[in-house]
Amino acid sequence: MIRAPFRPLEDFAPPREYRLLPLRFERLYGEEYLVTNDVGEYVVIERGELEKFVARRLEPDSDTYRALKARHFLFDNASDVALDLLTIEVRSRAERIAEFTGLHIFVVTLRCDHSCQYCQVSRQSVDRGRFDMSEVHADKAVEFAFRSPNLNIKIEFQGGEPLLSFAIIRRVVERAREINEAAKRNLRFVIASTLHHLTEEILSFCKEHGVDLSTSIDGPTDLHDAQRRSPGGESHHRTVEGIARARRVLGHDRVAALMTTMPASLPRVEEIIDEFVKLGFHSIFLRGLSPYGFAARSLVHRYGVEDWLDFYRRGLAHVLRVNAAGYVLREDYTTILLQKIFSPLGASYVDLQSPAGIGIGGIVYNYDGAVYASDEGRMLAEMGDDSFRLGHVDTSTYEDIVTSGALVAPLGDTILECMPMCNDCAFLPYCGSDPVFHRATQEDTIGHKAFSAFCSKQMGMLRHLITLLETDPAARQILLGWV
Amino acid sequence: MPVLRDGRVEFVVDLRVYRLAAVQKTAYRLAARCTAVLGDVTESSVSVNLTFPKATTEAHALEVARLFFQELLDQELREQIAAETAPLRNLILAYAYSRTGLPSDGRK
Repeated sequence: MIRAPFRPLEDFAPPREYRLLPLRFERLYGEEYLVTNDVGEYVVIERGELEKFVARRLEPDSDTYRALKARHFLFDNASDVALDLLTIEVRSRAERIAEFTGLHIFVVTLRCDHSCQYCQVSRQSVDRGRFDMSEVHADKAVEFAFRSPNLNIKIEFQGGEPLLSFAIIRRVVERAREINEAAKRNLRFVIASTLHHLTEEILSFCKEHGVDLSTSIDGPTDLHDAQRRSPGGESHHRTVEGIARARRVLGHDRVAALMTTMPASLPRVEEIIDEFVKLGFHSIFLRGLSPYGFAARSLVHRYGVEDWLDFYRRGLAHVLRVNAAGYVLREDYTTILLQKIFSPLGASYVDLQSPAGIGIGGIVYNYDGAVYASDEGRMLAEMGDDSFRLGHVDTSTYEDIVTSGALVAPLGDTILECMPMCNDCAFLPYCGSDPVFHRATQEDTIGHKAFSAFCSKQMGMLRHLITLLETDPAARQILLGWV
Repeated sequence: MPVLRDGRVEFVVDLRVYRLAAVQKTAYRLAARCTAVLGDVTESSVSVNLTFPKATTEAHALEVARLFFQELLDQELREQIAAETAPLRNLILAYAYSRTGLPSDGRK
């Protein structure tokens, strides 16, 4: 039998049948719908096209068909490689869960000389040494941190004002480096501080041991000083001075800053961003108030989700203008969302994980030796709710901590794919669970999303961001440069 | 045409067109706007009673009822897609986690 020299023409005809792959959808704006799959790939199509797609009435040579096929929303008899690719991508995104705890927060003291309006911690006066972490607890916490199998260990020092307890920071850093000679992890240190108590000795130590600094700048001097009150009233001036000194010794990019949005910040987002530019920062984290701590709980009711979203939208627009004018500036939360949208591995940000990042993304060793599943869990405990207390370094083993009911139960409850309303939300791959927020606001770790400010904020920000990506080519070009 | 009477808007949903699960999910999604009471389920229909606070205007209540049906359309489509793609989703997840070394059936 003579073999035909070419395959028959029908082999090259568009496929006549296709099968749907798992997807979710949500109205984005007008008649435009966002369609996503389990690994975060997305298309934006009109409602009519979505119905045609589901009813198998899409023409194989249409742009919509090609877009849906390229992003793994369907497969046909021409190629079923989508199944294999989706499998690999699901596995890649889930690997982070098995890596386990990477962020270890050490609350080395509750002492602080500031009285910030929104402070989430029960600050103590600077002379009350009993609110410092003891050497014994510090040593045990370091041992715990290295029990985590994560190859990347980041130890973050918080307070109070952690530099008021620098001796403990020094001890933790030296002990961790000593253990790491054998453990061989990628070890990083960050101190979150006002920078008012920086000395040459501290800066030399930070330089020698690769310790980064993070501080708070709430905006121009008057706004910052009104929100972050300190003895002498020159909080902004002293922090800016600390930033300059730290940069001289450690290098420009070793000092980061973030801001907290108070009601007084709302009309001034452009000024706040300009302040970050003036101080030479190339990133800013527009951060809302959290409903923890006694002061914060009353403040958080002074602006609503819509106020916040307006602040965020105006802020992002201004950041984009700054970039268009030639100065590189990223908005950090937007960058995290973009990583979740475009990066095959998602983003490691603890507050946007499924299951929740509590315990397995980050863990907190409090000044008194108690261990909490997250910093917010520690703050909730300050308000009398111990739901996220996992144990104590004196009395609990590492195994006790990581298998405690206070951790395992909320983790089981916070897998987005199993949560009502989240499980069929198109924003799911870009979102996460926040059991502490919902515990604080609804007395339930899952929470009803129809009443959830977390959900409304997330959906509002994501809706705005994806709309920008789809409708504003200049903004898209800048935003994609942040991933 | 539904009307607002004694703070409630009542209507019947045809279960030959919409799945009961879609009606339930719609009621859940709109919980911040009204309280939906589902009752009188037969093979072909379910009665829905949307309850509003006393001060609610008729225009607002009817707008929520309109949103209910708009959301119901989306929920029905979601149910249809979920039913159709569930075996594939399970297959993908099974493949994705098949070589993780996780113990199964209690054996290591």
